[in-house]
Amino acid sequence: MIRKLPGRTVVMVGGGMTAGLAARQLTNANVEVLVLERGGEHANGAEARLPTQRDELRWDTRQGLVQDWSVQTYTLRHHRSETALPVRWMEAFLPGEGLGGAGNHWNGHTWRWSEYEPQIRTRNESRYGKRAIPKDVPLQDWGTTYAEMRPYHELFEKLFGIAGKAGNIQGTLHEGGNPFEAPRDSEFPQKPLEFGEAGLTFKATAERLGYKPFPTPAANSSAPYTNPDGQQLGQCQYCGHCERFICEARAKASPALLLYPMLRERKGFEVRLHCHVLGIEYDAAKKRVTGVHYVDLLSGQEYLQPADVVMLGAFTMSNTRLLLTSRIGRPYDPDRNSGVVGKNFCYQANSGVSLFMKDKWFNPFLATGSSQVYLDEFNNDNFDHSGLGFLGGGGINASQFHGRPIGARRVPPGTPRWGTAWKKANADWYLHSMALGIQGSCYPHRENFLDLDPTYTDAYGQPLVRMNFDWRDNELKMSKYVTQKMADIAKAVGADIVGPANPLAAPFDTRVYNTTHVTGGTIMGTDPGTSVVSPHLQHWDAQNLFIVGASVFAHNAGYNPTGPLAALALRTGDDIASYVRRPRFI
Amino acid sequence: MPPPASDRRGFIRQVVGATAAVPLAPVLTGGVAASALAANAPSPAACKPADNASGYISLSRDEAAFVETLVNIMCPADELTPNGVDCGLPTYIDRQLAGDFGRGAKRYSRGPWQQGKPEHGCQLPLTPEQHFKAGIAAANEACVARYGAPLDQVRAAEAAAFVADLGAGKVVDDRLPMAAWFNELVYPLFTQACFADPIYGGNRDKVFWRLIGYPGLPATNTVNVVQYRGKPFPGSKNPKSIADFS
Repeated sequence: MIRKLPGRTVVMVGGGMTAGLAARQLTNANVEVLVLERGGEHANGAEARLPTQRDELRWDTRQGLVQDWSVQTYTLRHHRSETALPVRWMEAFLPGEGLGGAGNHWNGHTWRWSEYEPQIRTRNESRYGKRAIPKDVPLQDWGTTYAEMRPYHELFEKLFGIAGKAGNIQGTLHEGGNPFEAPRDSEFPQKPLEFGEAGLTFKATAERLGYKPFPTPAANSSAPYTNPDGQQLGQCQYCGHCERFICEARAKASPALLLYPMLRERKGFEVRLHCHVLGIEYDAAKKRVTGVHYVDLLSGQEYLQPADVVMLGAFTMSNTRLLLTSRIGRPYDPDRNSGVVGKNFCYQANSGVSLFMKDKWFNPFLATGSSQVYLDEFNNDNFDHSGLGFLGGGGINASQFHGRPIGARRVPPGTPRWGTAWKKANADWYLHSMALGIQGSCYPHRENFLDLDPTYTDAYGQPLVRMNFDWRDNELKMSKYVTQKMADIAKAVGADIVGPANPLAAPFDTRVYNTTHVTGGTIMGTDPGTSVVSPHLQHWDAQNLFIVGASVFAHNAGYNPTGPLAALALRTGDDIASYVRRPRFI
Repeated sequence: MPPPASDRRGFIRQVVGATAAVPLAPVLTGGVAASALAANAPSPAACKPADNASGYISLSRDEAAFVETLVNIMCPADELTPNGVDCGLPTYIDRQLAGDFGRGAKRYSRGPWQQGKPEHGCQLPLTPEQHFKAGIAAANEACVARYGAPLDQVRAAEAAAFVADLGAGKVVDDRLPMAAWFNELVYPLFTQACFADPIYGGNRDKVFWRLIGYPGLPATNTVNVVQYRGKPFPGSKNPKSIADFS
């Protein structure tokens, strides 16, 4: 029997980055918040303590901090004519589990997206004409602007002590930063991380070719730091265990470090761990949500938690799933090109190339998760696409995130896969190789969407989310173009050996890590006919339901999603506080 | 003899004390900065594999013979490392098969089952341990058909050629997809056996870390990242593993 609990003001689903940030704003405004998190606490586990923290096999290869696929995974079909199959062990992207969410095992890259990104359709139409956007690419404006998000970017960067070099302060360009950057109020809160040898090598070549490389903005703390809330970060030790790991040195900004310990001290804040949300209670007639249905994993008891306001702050896939299983909003229908939930599911179009230089000591283990030099000349719409036949682009970078030996070894093309020659190649090149990479945009496609799988269920008996996804024409063409630009730079480095620079290729492969930046499914916009939530992230069919996360992004850029996701989360906290005072469409 | 555990815990306390100038960072030290402290650490030579690292939990005698033959082909004794068996590679594989990985922990295992595309990943209802063993049986059957004996009993050149064919997808079985078995299950276990922390039974004496120059756990590199940028890193020659700090 389901037990009904006393009501709460705001109930959030998922104890990750967005819930932590929104709860900060809400509790600042004395609004009561309850967070339901399916996982447990990581702060004192083997994952956060030496020496066990430094275990590549356990946390990286075996995905110790990642969602348990035996409980819940996703099915995939590349085309609607196929039968989707469950991804039984996902490598392509890695949602988190436990307090702090994927913010525990992130790398720390923290971008503000370009000023034009929220108006991406308007931008492309005004620059290239209305016919430049193909009919099957439902590129949409987000209904918000960078100017609206800017103060929240400023706040987030201060809260998380972001390290970087400003390229554009109040419209004035600054050497060493990103010339394509959206204008900032001031310099980054912290000085940039040290460059590694790979970064310097790339930087020198890129500058020689006339590009403007710059350090990736990082949540890996370049010095001891105290944020405006009095929360502290240690100094990054360049240990090369960021992505897929918890930073035991407290030097990688994360919600579990900077938000939840503080929030738990606050009156009116509660987080319930090991509570898996099964659905949102929805009154379709009144167009309101009334509460959250969850199962307490410690007791097996199911509860109904009534709420004045519900905020979905789970991973992209779970936000979408909860709307679909709770029957809130019209599911997207690609045949009729109608409905909205599940629409505009996007990913990122990536590629890379390896460089081998026998006289260079790259020492890949002297690194942080954000030891990366980036150049933005071919990213997004930073270059003229006239006549190119595609839209979007990618950031070209030299990334040296770690030297963990199971995953971070490079050997020249043609090396045998085992035997003495294989060992020799590893010995010869581990310290003497580096890579360039591309993180590319992914624009929506009519056939790329999420829905509920008709066959496969999770451990709770609920349908899995089905990914209808493949790399489409626009991304394949974009990748071909930008990968060639990367190959040209790679050639100019003067390496002894340059590996193949293969562009992105279909079909989408779940067996290889790509990025964890899947977006869309519950997208924001100004038109209820083409978006799930309003520009203030209020559900069009339930004004007391807010959704925050990369699931609201209407397209994906050649940047990590955390910056805008965090800015939107902070703003949503303020919006919900305002809504609680005076319920209405904001 | 390694010092008693209490001494080693004392070492970690010492290290933490030494880095107290770095706020909030209870870290392991490494590189030259740590050399004075490292002198108190158990020396690598004192960390020879214990007796409980030998023997098999999951593998039968025949299966172990196959794995031992395989890893000695893939990792022959040469000037770089001892052979695969002496590096502990079969021990690693055996322990993985006997543990969470082999039982399919965290793997989605609900039906219905059907064949997918390679990009869907493995779609077999077998656990990785069952899959691994079914592959050994199928491989040995193919080896018998080709050379008249299982892998561990054929001539060295034949065994090497057979393993090469496994990797190239030239060994086929009527039922089990052998290329996926070798390349997506066996091969990753082989590279993990070489490069995972020695606490898992492979990479004995950190031989593969030493080979490539991976310094292991220590990392208080805030100074090192600048001091050794573009230069040989001293810690590469003397890697430290989990056991060294436990």
